[in-house]
Amino acid sequence: MQESHDVNQIIHTTIQAQHLPTTLEMPEIKPIQAAWWESIRVDKIGLFILSLFLFTLAITLMKDGARSLNHLLQNTFAISNTANCFGFGWFFAYLIMSGSPVAAASLTFFDAGVIDKMGAFAMITGSRFGASFIVLFIGFLYVLRGRDRSTSLSMGLISLMVTFSTYLPGFILGGIFLQFGWLDILQPRFGGMLYSFIDLTIVPLAGLIATFLPNWMVFCVGLGLILLSFSLFDKCLPRAALKESQLGRMSRLVFRPSVMFLLGALVTMVSMSVSLSLSILVPFSARGFVRRENVIPYIMGANITTFIDTLLAAVLVRNSSAFTIIFVGIFSIAIISILILISTYSRYRSFILDSVNWISTNNRNLVIFMVIIFVLPLILVLI
Amino acid sequence: MRILIAIQDLSTIENVPQIENILQFAAQFTRGTDEHPTIQVNIESGVDCLPPHVDTMLAEACIRASITAFRPQMRFGDPVKNILLEANSGNYDLLIVRDRPNHRLARLFRAKSAVRIAKRANCPVIVVKGNIGPIQHILMCDSGSPDSPMLGYFITRVVDMLPGKQDTTILHVMSQISAGPGVQGEQLRADAEELIEIHTPEGEILERDIHSLEKSGLHTFPKVRHGLVVDEILAESRSGNYDLITIGEHHNQWQHFLLDDLSRQIIEQADRPVLIVK
Repeated sequence: MQESHDVNQIIHTTIQAQHLPTTLEMPEIKPIQAAWWESIRVDKIGLFILSLFLFTLAITLMKDGARSLNHLLQNTFAISNTANCFGFGWFFAYLIMSGSPVAAASLTFFDAGVIDKMGAFAMITGSRFGASFIVLFIGFLYVLRGRDRSTSLSMGLISLMVTFSTYLPGFILGGIFLQFGWLDILQPRFGGMLYSFIDLTIVPLAGLIATFLPNWMVFCVGLGLILLSFSLFDKCLPRAALKESQLGRMSRLVFRPSVMFLLGALVTMVSMSVSLSLSILVPFSARGFVRRENVIPYIMGANITTFIDTLLAAVLVRNSSAFTIIFVGIFSIAIISILILISTYSRYRSFILDSVNWISTNNRNLVIFMVIIFVLPLILVLI
Repeated sequence: MRILIAIQDLSTIENVPQIENILQFAAQFTRGTDEHPTIQVNIESGVDCLPPHVDTMLAEACIRASITAFRPQMRFGDPVKNILLEANSGNYDLLIVRDRPNHRLARLFRAKSAVRIAKRANCPVIVVKGNIGPIQHILMCDSGSPDSPMLGYFITRVVDMLPGKQDTTILHVMSQISAGPGVQGEQLRADAEELIEIHTPEGEILERDIHSLEKSGLHTFPKVRHGLVVDEILAESRSGNYDLITIGEHHNQWQHFLLDDLSRQIIEQADRPVLIVK
């Protein structure tokens, strides 16, 4: 009844307005529905294209410059075996606070013959270990500023523990695949048009840069550009204000592990970064809380598709074996994660949460853990 | 109020005390109702396996359990089908069924029969298992979902069926952790009183439950535990020595596919009777 009353009022007011034209006379304002193309952010599309261009240029530069680092890596840093490569990738990711550029660098080293197939695989796995430290490191800074230990560190520690516990068996399984060449048949048979485009646009530009700079500097410029391209890519992603939305309610629900696993994989496939896809969880709840039950499978899924940018790098390097290395990484970690989910998931979850509780229970345990994960990559480099 | 007491398979129950056990437990609920309960006895293996004098045996067990009058029902074949058929067509307010042991390997492929009954019955179900005794302490696990039928059922049905003065602990499990390092996390460690005082969503759920239950004459104790939902409910049920765990089951179609089956885990792992309100 209230609705029909309102309609009558509107009609009456319109007639009055027609008969008594005044300065206040206004045409009836109908809500204008925005066309779908108006919601497209041209600036974000531009940023995305720029980040893709810089990524391709960076890989080309790193590929060109990698050969000059042979001496530095093998003689100065003594990176000669799989353990060294693992530790180097791990520590390198600490230094630049990101895993993906290190993984891309390992492919260029492999393409240049600086490291072998197992070395590249080890360096990539190590880079993921280092990358998962980032969330913990930010939490650690909060602890130093006086915030609660458990609140600040729990997400970082869970991320780190899940990565350690899935990537380590994944590395062993992947190593077997690579040694026996069981997945060597899976190599890309595409990219003709992409390569033609790169040859026409990127390669001349990379060549121009290379004429002015020494080779080692070309590699460093490539590394800088790849970091810049990831930073630009992050800016392309939508920043949704979900706090007040219906999605906020979802943070209260306990989802099936398989659902969270797929969600984590899907979100990271778009965002390409585990730490970024974890940060997407924050606005899903008004208070920034997530269910313990939901987090672990989400990270497990995210840890698989985080390789998507490295897979693109492998295509750009134009080395079919580099593609196989990344595919083996994705495949073996997916197998380990799915096996955990369908067999011992509740025990695994308890193990991860108990470990996290132990580490964050007091400063002594935290310091012991931090020292171990900081010293371990250095030991691996020095073996 | 209509109550259905289901005995899953009489041919496997060798001892009469086991029938008496469920009947004594059920008698606590039937005393408060005017209508006579229906007792359905299932014989899985067929008429050949019917124990001699089953009707006399049942009547004697009911007398010992102080169930003075009841409507007997004898069914042959799959007990799960029979129980669900009766429960879903008979407009019952409560179904009481005893848990049956199931082989660990078999459980990998198929849920326990008590779980299947509890999930598919349209009415609230009590799965009688483990330590059975007089109901004095009730653990009410409230998820705080706005569409949870738990509180309404407690006030309108449980209070009538159990006229004694039971103590009810209202448990809310916070399994949340901070999603990022910069999140304020004081609430992630707070107890029930603190959450009520600062009016967090959990505190308001507890406050609403206390208010409604105390109006119905129940003694209530709010409690918050932090950890995994199933683990904390089971831990609380053991440490508090409760006589009945009450949980809600209110999944719609899409939730059934997306959400974890916490009630199944609680029914399977609890060592005491579980009431599933729906």
